[in-house]
Amino acid sequence: MWRFLGGRIAMGALTIFVTTIAVTLLIHLVPGDPVQIMYAQSQGTTPEQLEEIRHNLGLDQPIYIQYVRFVGRLFQGDLGYTIRGHQPVLDVILQRLPNTIALAVAAMAVAILIGLPIGFFAAYKRGTMVDTGLMVVAIAGVSVPHFWLGLVLLLFFAVELGWLPVSGTGPLNLVLPAVTLGLSNAAIVARMTRSSMMDIMRQDFVRTAEAKGLPKSVILSRHVLRAGLIPVITMMGLQFAFMMGGAIVVENIFAWNGVGRMAVEAIFQRDYPVIQGFILTFAVVVVFVSILLDGVYALVDPRIRRS
Amino acid sequence: MAELSGAVPDYDHEIVPPGRRAHFWRRVAFTPNGAFGLAVVIVLIASAGLADLITPYSPIKMGVGPRFLPPNGAYLLGTDEFGRDLFTRIVYGSRLTLMIGAIAVGISLTVGILVGLIAAYRGGWTETILMRGTDVLFSFTETLIALACVAVLGPSLKNAMIAVGIAGIPFYARTCYSAALVERSKPYFEATIAAGAGPLRLLFLHLLPNVLPTMIVVATLGLSAAILAAAGLSFLGLGAQPPDPEWGAMLSGARDYFNRAPYLMVIPGLAIAVTVLGFNLLGDAIRTALDPREGSE
Repeated sequence: MWRFLGGRIAMGALTIFVTTIAVTLLIHLVPGDPVQIMYAQSQGTTPEQLEEIRHNLGLDQPIYIQYVRFVGRLFQGDLGYTIRGHQPVLDVILQRLPNTIALAVAAMAVAILIGLPIGFFAAYKRGTMVDTGLMVVAIAGVSVPHFWLGLVLLLFFAVELGWLPVSGTGPLNLVLPAVTLGLSNAAIVARMTRSSMMDIMRQDFVRTAEAKGLPKSVILSRHVLRAGLIPVITMMGLQFAFMMGGAIVVENIFAWNGVGRMAVEAIFQRDYPVIQGFILTFAVVVVFVSILLDGVYALVDPRIRRS
Repeated sequence: MAELSGAVPDYDHEIVPPGRRAHFWRRVAFTPNGAFGLAVVIVLIASAGLADLITPYSPIKMGVGPRFLPPNGAYLLGTDEFGRDLFTRIVYGSRLTLMIGAIAVGISLTVGILVGLIAAYRGGWTETILMRGTDVLFSFTETLIALACVAVLGPSLKNAMIAVGIAGIPFYARTCYSAALVERSKPYFEATIAAGAGPLRLLFLHLLPNVLPTMIVVATLGLSAAILAAAGLSFLGLGAQPPDPEWGAMLSGARDYFNRAPYLMVIPGLAIAVTVLGFNLLGDAIRTALDPREGSE
């Protein structure tokens, strides 16, 4: 088990290491002069001021020195300052990150509560019209753009019926974005659950259980569901990353004050320190959650726990 | 968005290439899913190709009609905030959508196949570096990669296509890698090495033709994810810019008027959903027709 977890942690560390390099290079990949582009929107910056900014950002140094400095500052919790407003990037991110994580977790709950039973039921009814019907619904669910679904839900529940607030950041405001993001991922969870359960149903131990005359409900709940959930747990890590990615769009629809909305604004404003901070935060959160889920997986699956 | 949409169905069964199976297309077209998917794709290609003939107005010129006219006889789907015909814009939009999908998937497919083939063929350190790198990128999700690319390149339709294309590479590389590993272990491959074939011949005349059918099936499904991802970027304002008749951008523009003219928002969204559904169902039908495990059950 420790070997398994050690491998996962090493992979996570590698991911974050690669991200720090990518983030340092990012600013140099911008076509043209990044300093001029960043300040193109603020009028009346003199060439001398641009040089000073370049020096302050360390962009006049060789790239490996920039990298070492970047990582050094990172260990001190310093992600630099925003171009607009000159605030510490870390503060700006930490202020919004809880909102994004709340959205991702709530959406994940919606996705699992809807997707898991549907997938399980479809696997149980495999090969029947019910199964086919449910899977067509799931494909349709994957196909609906969540930015559109969000707008339609907004139009209906917030504007027409007035049951929920249109935009903002608060507990009631969380409902529509979480449902939007959750519904489009429920379809993916349903498909994964179905194929995982179907794999288990083909196993010999299920046939043995059937042969010894166990009632179908016991076979399903005690044997199939428990074994079939294990692969689903591993897939949750990727699902969480999808939620974080989806949150970028959904936050923008509902004016939910999270890091995704901040990132899109930063792209428009060419605020590169914020973009760098966002990418790094995203990587750290995703890596952390996936290691956490791998830990759960290792505890739940006896084949790994005892290895 | 798969990613950006997250629309990654499971591909982990072995896919038997088309061509080796008789009446393959008949098996696809005679399932309800396949028939619907095929119909959507045909309509899409036809409307993209014949846009100039079937639309009565210009997609970009303002004031061809009154503003905010609901759907009616003269303007089939109504008019938008600038008095442009929505039907015309939707039809021209299909051209952009197909182009975006084709270019983005083309980028992902080309680079992904190269990475996958080289990793599987070379093995050793090359394999470790390429495939670990792919794993790292994969864990970022396509959304973040696409967003980072747009952040570097700047928002435009061209850059959105490149961004979505780059974001898809890890997925195609992985799929190609596992398909190439299967081919590499087959006797013909060893025989070809024994016959003295060089690396280029092995890679491009033996491995490539054998992974290509699998990759084409995957690309059909990937098209839907790419279209959804690019529409998402355009919706955020990071892709196609006004006045381009791109569906995601149109949807975004309609947000300001959704009380007054909800059809402006509903119709482009439906266009995206039906298109993506069409490619998903077609891809799914092709995969089912090729998967030996499914039909027998």
